[in-house]
Amino acid sequence: MNHILQVNNLQTAFKTDKGMQTVVHGISFHVDKGEIVGIVGESGCGKSVTSLSIMRLLHDTPGKITGGQVIYNDHDLLRLPESSMKGYRGKELAMIFQEPMTSLNPVLKIGKQLREPIQLHLKMSKADAAEHAVKVLESVGIPRAKDIMEEYPHQLSGGMRQRVMIAMAISCKPSLLIADEPTTALDVTIQAQILSLMKEIQKENDMGILMITHDLGVVAEVCNRVIVMYAGRVVEETTVELLFENPKHPYTKGLIASVPKIGSGSKRLHSIPGTVPSPTNMPTGCKFAPRCKDVMDFCHTEEPGLIEEDGHSCRCWLYQDQRQGAMTE
Amino acid sequence: MKDEVLIDIKDVKKHFPLSKKWFAEKKYVKAVDGVSFSIKKGETFGLVGESGCGKSTTGRLINGLIKADSGEIKFKGKNLANISEKDWKKYRKPMQMVFQDPYASLSPRLKVKDILSEPLKIHYPKMPNDEKKKLVTELMDKCGISEFHLEKYPHEFSGGQRQRIGIARSLILRPELIIADEPVSALDVSIQSQILNLMKDLQEEFGLTYLFISHDLSVVEHISDRVGVMYLGNLVEIARKRQIFEDPKHPYTQALLSSIPQPDPKKKRETIVLTGEIPSAANPPSGCKFHTRCPAAMEICRKIVPELKQLGREQYTACHLY
Amino acid sequence: MSNIQPEVVTTDRIVNERKETHFHQFWKEFRKKKPALISLFFILFLILIMIIGPSVVPYDPAKPDYNRVLESPTLEHFFGTDEFGRDILSRLAVGARLTLSVSISAVLLGAVFGTILGLVSGFFGKLLDRSIMRVCDVLFAFPDLILAIGIVAILGPGLRNVIIAVSFFSIPSFARIVRSATLETKEMLFVEATRSIGASNRRIIWKHIFPETVPTIIVYFTMKVGTAILAAASLSFLGLGAEPSSPDWGAMLSKSRDYIDSSFHLVFFPGLIIFLTVLAFNLLGDGLRDVLDPKTKD
Repeated sequence: MNHILQVNNLQTAFKTDKGMQTVVHGISFHVDKGEIVGIVGESGCGKSVTSLSIMRLLHDTPGKITGGQVIYNDHDLLRLPESSMKGYRGKELAMIFQEPMTSLNPVLKIGKQLREPIQLHLKMSKADAAEHAVKVLESVGIPRAKDIMEEYPHQLSGGMRQRVMIAMAISCKPSLLIADEPTTALDVTIQAQILSLMKEIQKENDMGILMITHDLGVVAEVCNRVIVMYAGRVVEETTVELLFENPKHPYTKGLIASVPKIGSGSKRLHSIPGTVPSPTNMPTGCKFAPRCKDVMDFCHTEEPGLIEEDGHSCRCWLYQDQRQGAMTE
Repeated sequence: MKDEVLIDIKDVKKHFPLSKKWFAEKKYVKAVDGVSFSIKKGETFGLVGESGCGKSTTGRLINGLIKADSGEIKFKGKNLANISEKDWKKYRKPMQMVFQDPYASLSPRLKVKDILSEPLKIHYPKMPNDEKKKLVTELMDKCGISEFHLEKYPHEFSGGQRQRIGIARSLILRPELIIADEPVSALDVSIQSQILNLMKDLQEEFGLTYLFISHDLSVVEHISDRVGVMYLGNLVEIARKRQIFEDPKHPYTQALLSSIPQPDPKKKRETIVLTGEIPSAANPPSGCKFHTRCPAAMEICRKIVPELKQLGREQYTACHLY
Repeated sequence: MSNIQPEVVTTDRIVNERKETHFHQFWKEFRKKKPALISLFFILFLILIMIIGPSVVPYDPAKPDYNRVLESPTLEHFFGTDEFGRDILSRLAVGARLTLSVSISAVLLGAVFGTILGLVSGFFGKLLDRSIMRVCDVLFAFPDLILAIGIVAILGPGLRNVIIAVSFFSIPSFARIVRSATLETKEMLFVEATRSIGASNRRIIWKHIFPETVPTIIVYFTMKVGTAILAAASLSFLGLGAEPSSPDWGAMLSKSRDYIDSSFHLVFFPGLIIFLTVLAFNLLGDGLRDVLDPKTKD
């Protein structure tokens, strides 16, 4: 198999007053070389926790990985000691975040922050690393890259900072880039710049990108394959074309219909009633059942599995005939 | 009645002082730099633009939360630009605001019933409590929050519910104009559509006029009748919604429109990727402020500020191309 | 209107589960701070003594017993007796009322004035703010105790004047912390939202900004009580406060210093109780700060 990343049955739980609450519920997926995979979902669906779990960056959160595998290059990253994980982070797997300011050190010059991982991972001398850093900055479309090296993060605009973050992430030529809402904090015209940049970089370096976002527009624009998450579970997974052409899960359908589309006029928007359930108060059975318009009786009691058919997986009883047959018997 | 103008603002300016150093030359952020538009009764006027374009400041200038430096702000023909803070109380009653962040715009230590009845306490101090309560419960019901939430505090609600409370608060005085500053930007898509639908229903029921401020063109297109596009403190285009979205004239509007990622992979339209950053409002470019990023920039754009010109029946554009 | 979708059952369930008052949340966190919790119980015990002390003490604190002068602690007199044979434990218990009420009311007075000044100063800013803060700076320049001695020297000795003096030097510190909390709260969106519904400044200050500063005030109040006890005791020790014969803790300490060589318990127990009380107020303040006002933690 040529998957660069294979996540098997990943489980992550958060420590709360009421004990451990599972927020990522055994999710599995893979990312191939040269592919952009999107994970979409609303706030609290576990998409960001998933990305942090893959990078093993949960120590600043109350979260803990409680099971599963994250296989990269035949190694299970979850079983590596922290010291060797450091060798992967930044070199093989890189990550960019929504708010670049939080991941850039405010008191260090851009040049130093860019140079250090290059020196560390690519074993370059200081001068070579600096030269390489300038090249990377230029490749992400930063004008006067040499001057920027001497500046501090706060001197840059939001779009520039995100470019610097991307430069930092790709400086060691990782084979997988995890982007957590990379354009959410940016204005639309800047978002368009960053998205086209990411597509370009992906093609040039032939890496895989895991794109975490809440914006279906962004997904449609850049992704090849999409995973829809709801309440810590994968509810649908397929190619981007199939997802928008023929969404199966009622949640996905509702989500797509909720987005106002340019040119569709002022007709009433579809909306999904209710809100996302909190991890401390999950409904039994299908987690979407209380908000679902196609809900059936047993949806409230039995949770459906993720069933694949022609490259289109869906976690919904509507597509699982045997079960319905069994119920009617 | 049909064409009654509710809000008419003319050449309104607001420059915020930037440096307070004693001997340094005083610098200003030209947040709003000569904006004029009018809103008719019963319509929804959408104000779009990217961060720092002055759209939120414009909203706050209208209801006096920020005082304009110059220009006219007329509400039903009465110029509000120079009235005193005391008189504002009277004029704020018919124009209420809904804010972007439903987490921050409700006082954390007040119960929902107190938040909702506060406007009544201010404007009708003699109203008996049970009448207040009746009005509050009635409105909560209309905004989709059940009555037993009255005794709760804001932190006990989700973002969508809080925004419903915020909307209910803005409606309790039965205003004519609602200034909604990014009311759905902080919400998830499925909740966002609930709130947008709610706002439309309430508009119909109460005959409200909306000034809808947002950075999200698709939301603005959905809710507005007319749209104004702002860039660095100026309106660059005003038109009926259809005109803006089907036949945008200003290059900035065109770029903005093409930049929105559409949730439809087959509709891979040509995105006009603008080069460069949004310039700072403290140091805006000369001439047309958009010329540094404009794909159609000409020599004249560098020097002369374009005026809003009427192009169609209700379409105005500030661009030298026309 | 039928189209409006009410929030469905799920949310109600979530909200019900989250139905905790501010106090519940506070208590859940506070319970984890053991030193503060123990201090709280100690202070509650002191307050109980304050209330019922005079009616439960075994001996009359004012009645001399010349047969048992300067006795060391015994089973009859747990803390021993003083130079007039009065029971020290009883005197301390009755004195709690005096000492605590003086210091608490002094801080309360300081808190009220300081809070008003801080709110006004922070909310209106400009010249008013600058003048109030400059006056506070001047007061800050004096060491607390020297200022208090000065005030008592002017007004004359006595408990009432001790209260005034101690409250006087706590005003600027309250004004300052309330001002900074006000400045922070003033910029919040809900303040603007309240203004947009037509609320007056007075309403915004009292209904919206003041409640936000209350946690800070409570924390600071608790800590300041410790300081005030020390100050009141010091003033009494110097003979500027309570009547020398009254069972005020500071006065007891002051009078017994002549016997420090022969009868150590005379100094030890009043000293110990002052030390423990001040410590308890400080620890409680620390704990409250961690829970109520975490951002002010250094």
